[in-house]
Amino acid sequence: MSTEHKTPKDFRRKVERADRWSRRVITTGGYGIIISIVSILLFLIYQSLPLAKGASINEILSMPATRSENPVVLTGVDPYLEVFYELDNRGSIKFYNVDSKALIKEDQLPLKANEKILTAAKGNLTKEIFTVGSDSGRLITSSIEMKPEYTKSGRTIEAMVYQEEEWQAATENDTIPNHIEKLTFVENSDGTRVWSWIDHTGKLWLRIYDAEDEEEYLYDLSEDISGQITSFSLSHNAENLVVALKDKNVYWFDISDFEKIQLKDRWTLETIADAVNYLLGDQAVAIGGQDGSVSVWFPVRSPANLFKFRKVHEFISHNAAIDQIYVSSRNRNFLTVDTKGNVKLHYSTTGQTQLEFKPADFPVTAAAFSPKSNAILVVDGQKRFSLYNLENPHPETTLKTLFGKVWYEGYPKEEFVWQSTGGSDEFESKLSLIPLIFGTFKGTLFAMFFSVPLAIFAAIYVSQFAPKRLARQIKPTIEIMAALPSVVIGFLAGLYFSPLFEEYLMVIFLFVILLPLFFLIALFIWQRIPEKMQARFPLGIEILFVIPIGIITLVFAMSFDHVVEQILFQGNFQQWLYSTLQITYETRNSLVVGFALGFAVIPIIFTVSEDAISNVPESLSSASLALGASKWQTVRRVVLPAASGGIFAAIMLGLGRAVGETMIVLMATGNTPIIDLNPFNGFRAMSACIAVEIPEAPVGGTLYRVLFFTGLLLFVFTFIVNTLSSLIGDRLRKKYARF
Amino acid sequence: MNSAKSYQKKKGTGYVFTSGLGLVISLAMVAWIIIIILVKGLGFFWPGDVLQVKLQNGDSYMGELWDEHLDKETLVEETQIKIGNRDVYGRDFIWLKNNEIASRSYPENAVTFERMEYGNFYGFIKAAYLDDKIVQPGDGETLKDVVFDVHDQAMDTKEQINDLQEEATEIMAPLAEVQREMTLLQLAGAEETATGKQQFDELQKKADELDKEISPQIEKINAQLTTLVLRDRASYLEVETADGTTKHIELSSIVRFFYPNEMGAVSKSIHYAGKLWEFVADNPRESNTEGGVFPAIFGTVLMVLLMSIAVVPFGVLAAIYLNEYAKQGAIIRFIRLSVNNLAGVPSIVFGVFGLGFFVYAVGGSIDQLFFSSKLPEPTFGTGGILWASLTLALLTLPVVVVATEEGILAVPRANKEGALALGSTKWQMIRKIVLPNAMPGILTGLILAISRGAGEVAPLMITGVVKLAPTLALDGSFPFLHLDRKFMHLGFHIYDVGFQSPNVEAAKPMVYSTALLLIIIVVLLNLFAIYIRNNLRKKYKTSTF
Repeated sequence: MSTEHKTPKDFRRKVERADRWSRRVITTGGYGIIISIVSILLFLIYQSLPLAKGASINEILSMPATRSENPVVLTGVDPYLEVFYELDNRGSIKFYNVDSKALIKEDQLPLKANEKILTAAKGNLTKEIFTVGSDSGRLITSSIEMKPEYTKSGRTIEAMVYQEEEWQAATENDTIPNHIEKLTFVENSDGTRVWSWIDHTGKLWLRIYDAEDEEEYLYDLSEDISGQITSFSLSHNAENLVVALKDKNVYWFDISDFEKIQLKDRWTLETIADAVNYLLGDQAVAIGGQDGSVSVWFPVRSPANLFKFRKVHEFISHNAAIDQIYVSSRNRNFLTVDTKGNVKLHYSTTGQTQLEFKPADFPVTAAAFSPKSNAILVVDGQKRFSLYNLENPHPETTLKTLFGKVWYEGYPKEEFVWQSTGGSDEFESKLSLIPLIFGTFKGTLFAMFFSVPLAIFAAIYVSQFAPKRLARQIKPTIEIMAALPSVVIGFLAGLYFSPLFEEYLMVIFLFVILLPLFFLIALFIWQRIPEKMQARFPLGIEILFVIPIGIITLVFAMSFDHVVEQILFQGNFQQWLYSTLQITYETRNSLVVGFALGFAVIPIIFTVSEDAISNVPESLSSASLALGASKWQTVRRVVLPAASGGIFAAIMLGLGRAVGETMIVLMATGNTPIIDLNPFNGFRAMSACIAVEIPEAPVGGTLYRVLFFTGLLLFVFTFIVNTLSSLIGDRLRKKYARF
Repeated sequence: MNSAKSYQKKKGTGYVFTSGLGLVISLAMVAWIIIIILVKGLGFFWPGDVLQVKLQNGDSYMGELWDEHLDKETLVEETQIKIGNRDVYGRDFIWLKNNEIASRSYPENAVTFERMEYGNFYGFIKAAYLDDKIVQPGDGETLKDVVFDVHDQAMDTKEQINDLQEEATEIMAPLAEVQREMTLLQLAGAEETATGKQQFDELQKKADELDKEISPQIEKINAQLTTLVLRDRASYLEVETADGTTKHIELSSIVRFFYPNEMGAVSKSIHYAGKLWEFVADNPRESNTEGGVFPAIFGTVLMVLLMSIAVVPFGVLAAIYLNEYAKQGAIIRFIRLSVNNLAGVPSIVFGVFGLGFFVYAVGGSIDQLFFSSKLPEPTFGTGGILWASLTLALLTLPVVVVATEEGILAVPRANKEGALALGSTKWQMIRKIVLPNAMPGILTGLILAISRGAGEVAPLMITGVVKLAPTLALDGSFPFLHLDRKFMHLGFHIYDVGFQSPNVEAAKPMVYSTALLLIIIVVLLNLFAIYIRNNLRKKYKTSTF
């Protein structure tokens, strides 16, 4: 005994301590398995749960009404929510610090004595540029910059006001000066500016400053419009103008050609639109009615190939007339404000009204989204300023957008679309999971059609009819097939099988059709061979018999494919498909995927069902054979029913593998998310979509979470399939275990 | 007649044959895939003869015969030739209509050049230049001898240049380190504080001193480099393409060149072996479409090793718990269900979990705690070999558990009970009886896990694999094993080169070879596992008491 344990008692204590510790460690290891799978599930849920969270606001600032005697016409805040400004109708701009509520800067627009601002409009979603219209017919355009300055003590916001330009509207032999009653203004990314306003005579004017050619245009649009105008809005790219009238008519002007303003469409609403505003993306227009209704309209291509505005989404109505609409610069969110001071937040794509709140008991005079759309600011008639933090991380996903049809901008009708990223920030992301789920099941279906019969027949043959020596060699061969990395199969499918299938499509078709035919003929001949001679062939003769039939069929198919193609399909099958059935043939299509997935699925189904069939007790089949049943009858009536649990489990496992397989579907399909049962085109499967898109998805963003949710769906599906397979497999096994 | 028919039906000959057909088709599929990969993967390195075709319109092309097919539209036989010379033609392959080809020949003096850039070049050598002067063959010398000679010289020059550059980098290293520290200070905004400023000034002073110290050496090296580089540039071959265009190829840009049409079977075999060695031992060239796959092999092996370190202890513990400690009941059923389900979860889901949990959650926290000075540049908060290995460890866990259980179950009950009866504790019994005897099972699990891990791609491509890693994850600089580095992987290499490379057609052979290599690794591992498992069975068949 070593010197470490001096007495037997010490030794025993040591051994027992080791025993206790090993028990603890090993138990932890055992529970670790449960912890791993549960933590995967919980983590996936945790990452996708925020998708279901709606919008919420909380007030971070409310400043009382003691500062300005004049009504506020415009307000805004800097991107960091540190400084906000107010513009009153006397042209005074005051900047306040959000935290300290202190006035930090005051500036004045160049108004004349007694000149009053009647209307003000912001002209850009990303920067604070605005125009005010006064009661002496002047349009004064200014911009505000709230620039962060970094110093040792941290960040401070430097606020500046710049005068951009002034312009005097003509007073056409009138005794009273021109009034700018209502105004809308846009500066697009080229610097081109467009103003549109109604003067005191009710006329609608349009003034354009073309930054590229440095030219100005002025139009009187009243000639095209007859009636009293209630509201109008310019699109942010300065290409469109919509005008709503008291007679419920709405006019759509195309102003993209500055020299020729075109009336493109006119339609009638059910109510008088007191507020219209173009949303981000410049397609959709939000319309607020006098009856409190809120709807979104956008142009849809009509059968005559003309664009006509259609009502696409309708939102929860207000109880009073809507007089203001504000638009987010980040997404399809917009605010509607009614005359009683109620505010609602809507999201265009989903058709959802996300929030409703009433900042004060008085009507709202000005409101705005913060530049990052993470806050809402409101000034009421009593000049109380309120700033709300807006928590709305994933407005574009609801159960309906994930699983239902959605009418997206520019589409002719409601559709299932997956298109997660687009060219610009204004892109409306389309995140319907249906095309992906459809793709996954399309691939799985083709794979199962192909592999299930092959694998089960092979398993029956190996376990029941093949000579034992052969069976022992076949099993490892098929196991090797299971070990083939899916990336290799996928690469072969994409770069070898798919061009091959395309070139020899006719051969493959002929082979599939002729094989059963030739097989039956050969079988007929075989049965004519006298019984005695049949018995002389060694066991396993079936394989030797089948191989030549396969080879003969292949040779036959390869030598007659051109002839058949000429006679039946005018010389080119693919072209015939397209011209006769309107089916396009893609090189990487579902047939190739089904075939390639077979390499992954067949070995699983084969191995598990072969085990199940082999494990059927000898006594059962011996009894059947002793009663005079033939070998096949025994298999059909005794062995297969007894093994059905195992076979079912095998199919389920194969299904789970096909659903989750990534590399094969990624490489062997074109990855286009379309819903089409045509076997000759591709699809985009959930797994492949995750693999392709998650590296590019911003962490914590909507796409990122939707992809996690897709992963969760895959997890849950395979979990159900696996659990089912073990439960039902167990039950069927028990049922037959009594023999 | 009637009874014969019903007898046949009863016998079910047709069904038996159909089941045989199912097996044959399955086996044919396996054979097909293996044969394709063997033929295409191994054929790539064989030096192909260079074919020269002259067209009826007078054009002439030269290159390797690649493919032949019948055009469906025109019903004309067409021939595909790899004409290489990407810098001349702008494409690697050309399809020619057979009825437009006037003549075909295999010129003896046609040369295949493998280059560092622009792929292969096929042509004839006209003259060799060293230092801008033409080199004439001496007595008894052919142009060929001269060319091989000057190529060797050019390679020597190139090596000298590389050595000098390395030497320069080594001399500059201390200075570079000081400059890096200065940049870090600047980035952190330390200059604004008094201590930071002082630190910065000290570093500046140190940098100046170092600069003064090493500049004479650097200047000397630079002078040498200039002469060598000039000589390198002035050494080139004048070559002619099939249609008579002449061109200069810098000797140092030629990896190797040979006269395939003159080579016999033996010299071709030697060439073949050389190419094979290059494939497994060299770095890739030309955005992975040429050269070797050594970094990918290295990355795969290292990743699989790290994975094994994580998965084997965990899996073995779990298996021991299931068989020796757990009581039959709900818990054990639940664990078994978990193992089954873990085996069935799609690999991409593990990838998603690895990305979200290991990379962003754990890695992000590590960065916050230990590497905050480098932020926002992530260290562990981005994909890397550690996270990829851990993700795969989770994925292969069920494989290890199941195989180990099989091994433990094979240990005879009598042995275990004997040990307990002699008074050993449970742990002693496990350590001395169960584990040694279950070793083949554990080994089987390990091998199967490695084979699965080596072939898996989907979870890796989102947790740390890259198409081209600038450095290996294991190298000579402290701390030697860089767990945060990204790595290359054979499976991903196949996907990337075959599907993401700009010139898929030219890259295909490389992909086949890589696929072959991967299959060989995976299949060998599997055969090994099957062998061990069978031996395990045999061993315990005899040892029951």
